[in-house]
Amino acid sequence: MSRVKDVAILGYGGYVPRYRIKASEIARVWGREDDALPIKEKSVNSIDEDVITMAIEACRYALRRAGIDLRKVGAVNVGSESHPYAVKPTGTVVAEALGIPPTHLSADLEFACKAGTEAMQMIAGLVSSGLIECGIAVGADTAQGRPSDALEFTAAAGAAAFVLGRSNGDEVAVIEHMVSYVTDTPDFWRRAHERYPRHASRFTGEPAYFHHTVSAVRALLEETGLRVSDIDYFVFHQPNYKFPYAAAKILQIPKEKVDPGVVTNVIGNTYAACSPLGLVRVLDQAKPGQKIVLTSFGSGAGSDSFLIVTKDGLERKRNLAPLLDSLIARAKYIDYARYLRHREKIRTS
Amino acid sequence: MRSGIRPQEHWRAKRFRYRLEVLRCSSCGTVNMTPRRVCRRCRSTSLVPERLPERARLLAFTEVKSTTDIHEETAPYLVGLLEFEDGTRIVAQLTDVDYEELRPGMEMEAVVRKIAQDGESGVIVYGFKFRPVIA
Amino acid sequence: MRTVHVAGAGYTKVSEHWERSLTELAAEAALAAIRDAGVERVDAIYLGNATAEITSHQIGISAIVSEELGLSGVPAIRIECGEASGMAAFVQAHAAVSSGLVEVALVVGAEKLSDLMPEEYNTVYTMTLPHETMGFAGITPAAVAALLYRIYTERYEVPQEFVAQFPVLMHRNAKGVPHAQFPFEVKLEDVLSSPYVAPPLRRLETTAPCDGAAALVLVSGDSLGSVRSGSVTRVGGVSLRTDYVSPFDREDPLFVSSVALSVEEVLLRSGIDRNDVDVLEVHDSFSIMAPLILESAGFAPRGRSGLLLKDGSYDLNGELPINTFGGLKARGHPFGATALYQLAELHLQLTGRAGKNQVEKARSGLAISTSGLGAISGAAVLLGGDGA
Repeated sequence: MSRVKDVAILGYGGYVPRYRIKASEIARVWGREDDALPIKEKSVNSIDEDVITMAIEACRYALRRAGIDLRKVGAVNVGSESHPYAVKPTGTVVAEALGIPPTHLSADLEFACKAGTEAMQMIAGLVSSGLIECGIAVGADTAQGRPSDALEFTAAAGAAAFVLGRSNGDEVAVIEHMVSYVTDTPDFWRRAHERYPRHASRFTGEPAYFHHTVSAVRALLEETGLRVSDIDYFVFHQPNYKFPYAAAKILQIPKEKVDPGVVTNVIGNTYAACSPLGLVRVLDQAKPGQKIVLTSFGSGAGSDSFLIVTKDGLERKRNLAPLLDSLIARAKYIDYARYLRHREKIRTS
Repeated sequence: MRSGIRPQEHWRAKRFRYRLEVLRCSSCGTVNMTPRRVCRRCRSTSLVPERLPERARLLAFTEVKSTTDIHEETAPYLVGLLEFEDGTRIVAQLTDVDYEELRPGMEMEAVVRKIAQDGESGVIVYGFKFRPVIA
Repeated sequence: MRTVHVAGAGYTKVSEHWERSLTELAAEAALAAIRDAGVERVDAIYLGNATAEITSHQIGISAIVSEELGLSGVPAIRIECGEASGMAAFVQAHAAVSSGLVEVALVVGAEKLSDLMPEEYNTVYTMTLPHETMGFAGITPAAVAALLYRIYTERYEVPQEFVAQFPVLMHRNAKGVPHAQFPFEVKLEDVLSSPYVAPPLRRLETTAPCDGAAALVLVSGDSLGSVRSGSVTRVGGVSLRTDYVSPFDREDPLFVSSVALSVEEVLLRSGIDRNDVDVLEVHDSFSIMAPLILESAGFAPRGRSGLLLKDGSYDLNGELPINTFGGLKARGHPFGATALYQLAELHLQLTGRAGKNQVEKARSGLAISTSGLGAISGAAVLLGGDGA
């Protein structure tokens, strides 16, 4: 892939549910040691939340910042691995709740934790080609981890949405370049009708996460002719607290350029929303004219990498919706039993 | 008996449940919450669709401990009486808040949440609830 | 218009009648009323029932009941107005008799709620509220009552006891009453320490699922001579009104205008005023409903009915005895039958057959029945003694 012609981020929005469970609480239940946990705590959806409701929340914030006429929205794409229905679209509910007229393209996407950035790519393509004026890309998940599995410590809930359109002089940022790097790598999967995913343990690391992430970033830098020193922020997929920093180390990226986009330690791995929420947090603090490289990773496996340059509209629009940190700050801690109830893991019938 | 959830019924009501879209009477100003031919207060036929504001003020609240079949799995839950700026009142579930945190006069905002689901195989009903405004 | 008289009353105990169906209950009450009235014929049956299709898998229930009574062939109509179904049936029967269409009408109210699981009972009860805007969201009648309760105590700056003592009075009146569901006393402390249903509303401030049937025989003045009944009252008047279904769409949620209008109208039609009412039946489906109805009907200044209760005004020997057999709270609230229990109990009072609950010199009684916290209200006046 290559240079993106005239695609701007007109508005962005992140959403994190109110509830948190501490990794130490999960460790307590399963008799694990407390000292080597992958993150500190993760977000948990409320009993009345799912991918559809969280996508709506993130979209509302994104639309508030975009300030566009809803009739201009020509596409709504929602990437998730936890769509509430196996058959019946997520995007149509989201669009109706937002009041977007029916004449738009709706697509639900799935590519493990990469489905959100894939939605961005597709909307970018539609905007860039002139097929639509604006579109909304969403990554949202209420990720499932099998009880007692390593994933249970990190699988979390959240959503991020981006309104993309042509530059209108008031945009938050522009997407200048994007690449994708995908291979058939069976590191993590969930078969049809299965409740929980399975994974190949340490195989998810080097040949999966690191290989694809690093390859995508290198391809992006090569195609754009930019060096690490030209970029102000790097946002990575963050299945745990260690991985994004380990990827940065391989790419010789200083920690300070990674820190602002790491949220996994306090909200966990929100799957399709994970790196997009990292981008949201960076946009919450970046200055106009800065360069951001966003790189997702989805098991199966692949990475999408974007070069995003912030614009003057960012500072005007930032405070039109709550900042991600204020959503994170309203944390309400719950115990494991309550967590099971929120995750519908208790059989009542 | 399980009353279940009929998708048709929910589909008809989605404008109100998703977006708080109502019909305001242009003669007397009354808000009519569901589709109809004449204003329930003045019988005028000039009813204009409108979306109620996202924010409303909490007037009174309670906690529902025992409830109907389709809502049982989420009970107990909070219920509030809310008033919009124009004086229109609405009763709705409250979410993302604990009973002890509620105060009359609190400003709350409408969000879309799961209202109920028809078991593991039936439809999921979404609709508005109110939560404290996030700054 | 002809005069209409109550010639007889009958009822079952309000209870969980595991062994009897809706139809059997209706028949038991109807046969007792026919026996009490001493009539040889019934020209029409009016059945008040709210939930037969849900509780008993039956629509067209009126024909089942007429057959059960050996009255197949007689016109029989089931009337559904939620919790006020019994009053609505009474209003229709009254209209038929007073107009000359019918000489002897049997009015039966029957309900069978005990077969329902608790959540099913809540589901049915919630159907009295508008489903599209409230029921779908899990807004139950108890939740609405709790909000009204909160607004009431805050607006009038009265303690919770002013509301919570109504159930105490109801239980005191129901003590030892054979047909009452809960024929025992409770103390205010019991009420205020019972579990919350929806705070501030507590369990002992609500009614419980139950079964019951009550019936009256109405006879025209023209045909009264052919009736062997020794205890006759006259229907002073009836009225039934509606209001916005959600209390919060009403101008003042604490003012139940369907009650105000129906009471005003029934008093006018009966040619009496409030001071003439010797016994009053109010629809205390939730504790808070008693003060709201008393005050909306004009029997107490706004926010003051709790004070009047405290002063004994509503006691059996008080100025205006209410719910003399325990009301909905303690006698029981089998929806479609409830208003007919109210009227049967007034009939007992006015014919001097109320036993230990007898109100001295009771000559006129007023019953107020309500559904959905005021969406539908009906009122009827019965006159005894010389007025019968």
